[in-house]
Amino acid sequence: MADTASPRSDTPLRTGALSAEGRAALARFLAAASGARAVEVTGLVSLRGGAIQENWAVDAYFTGGSLAGDQRLVLRTAAPTGVATSLDRLQEFAVLRAAFAAGVTVPEPFFASDDPTIFGKPFFIMRRVSGMAAAHRITRDAALEPALPGIAERLGRELARIHTIRPPRSDLAFLNAYKEVGPTRQITGFRAYLDRHPTPRPVLEWGIRWLETHLPSSSAPVLCHHDFRTGNYMLDGTTLTGILDWEFAGWGDAHEDIGWFCCKGWRFARLDREAGGISDRAPFYLGYESEGGRSIDPQRVFFWEVLASVRWAVIALQQSDRYMFGGERNLDLALTGRRATECELEILMLLDPAGAPPDA
Amino acid sequence: MRDLPTGPSLLALARDVLLNDLMRLLPEEARLDARLVANSMAIAEREAETAGGLGEAIARELANLYDCREKGEKAEDLLRCFAHDLRVGAFKNSEPQERMARQILWQLTTSKLHQANPRFLAANGFDWPCLEIEQCLNPGFRK
Repeated sequence: MADTASPRSDTPLRTGALSAEGRAALARFLAAASGARAVEVTGLVSLRGGAIQENWAVDAYFTGGSLAGDQRLVLRTAAPTGVATSLDRLQEFAVLRAAFAAGVTVPEPFFASDDPTIFGKPFFIMRRVSGMAAAHRITRDAALEPALPGIAERLGRELARIHTIRPPRSDLAFLNAYKEVGPTRQITGFRAYLDRHPTPRPVLEWGIRWLETHLPSSSAPVLCHHDFRTGNYMLDGTTLTGILDWEFAGWGDAHEDIGWFCCKGWRFARLDREAGGISDRAPFYLGYESEGGRSIDPQRVFFWEVLASVRWAVIALQQSDRYMFGGERNLDLALTGRRATECELEILMLLDPAGAPPDA
Repeated sequence: MRDLPTGPSLLALARDVLLNDLMRLLPEEARLDARLVANSMAIAEREAETAGGLGEAIARELANLYDCREKGEKAEDLLRCFAHDLRVGAFKNSEPQERMARQILWQLTTSKLHQANPRFLAANGFDWPCLEIEQCLNPGFRK
């Protein structure tokens, strides 16, 4: 999941290796799905950045049908190994469609298929949006500076729109019932993971204990993106062009997404800017509250921010597990495990703000 | 007894060659991986410099916490016991133990970050100029 998992740039970095038969099968699928008389796949390259999912830039010419003409698309499918909690591609496609219909700025979803004869595994097709999502660039780029508070407010509005999607939804019936995805279930999951992990993590245990003893009251469930943060949205200049990476979406507490967006793990080059490393919280909160009408409870956000640091630490460890135990030869994944200790420092700073106690 | 230059100094030199001689010769798409390689070498270098010392020092602190009951136990076992006790809130009724536990958590975390990502530590307001393990474990840092 680390700062990747979706098309991050217009620039294809690696040439894909799909056979002529594979291209032809994809072209036939696109033609049938769009009602085109014919489709020619003119470009197909793997996009770098898919830590959990694999993304391919597809250029295609449609003769007739709903997408007539040249189209710039993305094919999204699963990487060889992933994180167990993520949705499958057809489920992610359904969530993306729901978000698109709710007016959230997302790449327009087009088609999905679980037919293994087309691409070897389930996939979906969406529009390729322009821009870049590189978090370190967004949080460092001096040219973006004046626009960042406005972008934070816009992101608040986008999140509020996501949270207008609420159960029950027959098209999202595969999402777990809300009571099963609240903090208690996550806490159980964190501990189960730590029980399997070869190295004890005392700070995480301490933080999880705090979470367990400070559970917030239940709230009306909404659709949570569950990975709404800098690095998972595309900017074309200063224009937001797409919220990406919906694979962790599920019903939950609206404050969970706010805590995740603001937690230190996602501030990149600007730890001082508490809203995603791009601004202070005020513009982000203002956008959220003015779009959705729901007021933000800072204490609730604090709980979810602590949980965010625990969750990010566990995900970081799981990422390095993919190298250590999953056989994925990937230095980026291997190094991500080291970030768990950064999260542990943040847990200490949040819950023990006076710092290390002096000797007795 | 090993020959000189030491492993850490070889790693430091190799990293310098990678970043300052080889990086500019690499195509753009290979540079991110090269930076990750350089980062890995830096972590390995810092860990090699303090090999053993960190675990032993934390084990001593844990032995103190457990009032020597666990003397002779391996550091890994003590750490596992510590993690379990934190999970069940074992120190909540003893202010001295709770204080010692928090001290160990801070020491463990900042020491590990000193090796893995000292820049992150500095960015969070922790001033840590030394590399000596004993100093590292008693830095007296404050936010």
